[in-house]
Amino acid sequence: MIEATGLTKRYGSKTAVDGIDFAVRPGLVTGFLGPNGAGKSTTMRLIVGLDRPTAGTVTLNGQRYADLKSPLHEVGVLLDAKAVHTGRSAYNHLRAIAATHRIGRRRVDEVIALTGLESVARKRVGGFSLGMGQRLGIATALLGDPGILILDEPVNGLDPEGVIWVRQLARHLAKEGRTIFLSSHLMSEMAQTADQIIVLGRGRIIADAPVADILAQATGTAVRVRTPDAARLAQLLHRPPEVTVTQSAPDLIEVNGLASSQIGEIAATSQIVLHELTPVTGSLEDAYLALTQDEVEYHAGGTLEGAAQ
Amino acid sequence: MTIPAAPTPTRIASAHQSGRPKVRVVGLSFGGILVSELIKLWTLRSTVWCCAIVLALAFGIGLLAAGFAGSQPGTIPGAAQQSQAVTVATIGVIFGQLVLSVLGVLVISGEYGTGMIRSTLAAVPKRIPALLGKAIVLAVTSLALGLVTIYGTALLQLPFLSNAGIHTNFADPKLNLALLGGVAYLALIALMSFGIGAIIRNSAGGIATALGLLLVLPTVLQIFAAVTRATWVQNVAEFLPTNAGGHLFTYASTASTSVAGVISLNATEGGLVLVAWAAVAIVVAALLLRRRDA
Repeated sequence: MIEATGLTKRYGSKTAVDGIDFAVRPGLVTGFLGPNGAGKSTTMRLIVGLDRPTAGTVTLNGQRYADLKSPLHEVGVLLDAKAVHTGRSAYNHLRAIAATHRIGRRRVDEVIALTGLESVARKRVGGFSLGMGQRLGIATALLGDPGILILDEPVNGLDPEGVIWVRQLARHLAKEGRTIFLSSHLMSEMAQTADQIIVLGRGRIIADAPVADILAQATGTAVRVRTPDAARLAQLLHRPPEVTVTQSAPDLIEVNGLASSQIGEIAATSQIVLHELTPVTGSLEDAYLALTQDEVEYHAGGTLEGAAQ
Repeated sequence: MTIPAAPTPTRIASAHQSGRPKVRVVGLSFGGILVSELIKLWTLRSTVWCCAIVLALAFGIGLLAAGFAGSQPGTIPGAAQQSQAVTVATIGVIFGQLVLSVLGVLVISGEYGTGMIRSTLAAVPKRIPALLGKAIVLAVTSLALGLVTIYGTALLQLPFLSNAGIHTNFADPKLNLALLGGVAYLALIALMSFGIGAIIRNSAGGIATALGLLLVLPTVLQIFAAVTRATWVQNVAEFLPTNAGGHLFTYASTASTSVAGVISLNATEGGLVLVAWAAVAIVVAALLLRRRDA
């Protein structure tokens, strides 16, 4: 269980995390989603005490991270793939971190096997690819077999096989009753892994709900209709007030609030020819984009929206 | 490089049996932190290189100096013989301190440069034990290296020095005090540099600052003192780490004098001044480590 209350972090005049409250519960994979610069990594650094909150608190099983008796056994953390000395081998890195908690070599060998690093474990980390660095970071997080796992962008740089492996690992560990907190800026990835999603934008929580709910929100009942008689059909469809019709081209309308079958029947009784009748199911990606539309700090194209405010 | 196939879920399952940690939990301990820091120090090539260079420089320059002394046979009075023996045995300290200073900075700045510090502090979230663990491991390593370096040099020099009429007497407590003083000097310089590295958190900046303090500042003050003939400049220079600490490995340096207002520290005073330098650097580093974001 991770609980944050009023968690705030300011760097100078810039507010990275703006008084957020959330709880990450055990037995679930909780996805932490947001555009670049939304404050995901800062939040994760605050959780494990690498940064000091400007205000608010965050606890792990009721305790501050620094007060944990045995941090590695309670919390495993992957903050970024580069938290390793490049001059040391993966094996020696794991051995050194394990030694602080008197974790034996057997467990070190175990996490190396678990993350598929056997063939490169004796090589210096400086030569590792992003994906291998990521595996080493996950291996480090798993050393103490912790009940809480915090992974910042764990699939970053992994090959498809590695992505599936992380997904299975996260699901498996959650099923064992552990608390799994993953960040990502890829909604599609989260849709397949997470049970619960917390969406962060510009340091604030935009949504905190089960994946199914967020998906339902996005999956409206929009139907795309293409017909040469668009204007007449639009009028016919407008009868119930909850139905909205938007015309996007002379022969194209989008209908909300009616099923495609109903639209088809109305068109048939009025003898209107239809060229297309397509139910548009919103994706999680759409939901995410809709949610974060106003919260993206760095838009492509080089305009800095925040600077104007 | 290629990566082997990712483990199947069954392998994951075997390693994580439901809820119960398979690992025997001992927890975080200071002993564990010391072992961790020892592993970290000795699994980097820079450590091995630094130690090899210290030894090679000390032995090489020591033998050169002894050989030079041996080529000028003569008779020297007893106390002066011991004093000479100390001087040639510790001649490599001047160069060794620079290498140990670099090592001291790198021990901590290397972690900041690579991001390793985040792994370190995630494992030791109270932070100060990690800093102390590093300092202790560095001190013990420097002391051991210093002992081998200085006594090794002294032993290698024996045949050359006896040619010059210098008979090193290892039973002389004052000789051992001076040689051990050299060992302590090296460790204290390493610790002070470690503190500087922890404050600056950047390898290039840390090394520049530490070497500036050891090499540049004494020279600048010396020139300044020679030009102005101001006693206060000379007195300030006397309290620099190199000058104050230098008394640690001077034979029978007992008298602290103040001739015409110019202070000259003795071995104990000089040693304490150097201890203060190292202590202040590490205490400031500790205070900053507690406050700063990592």
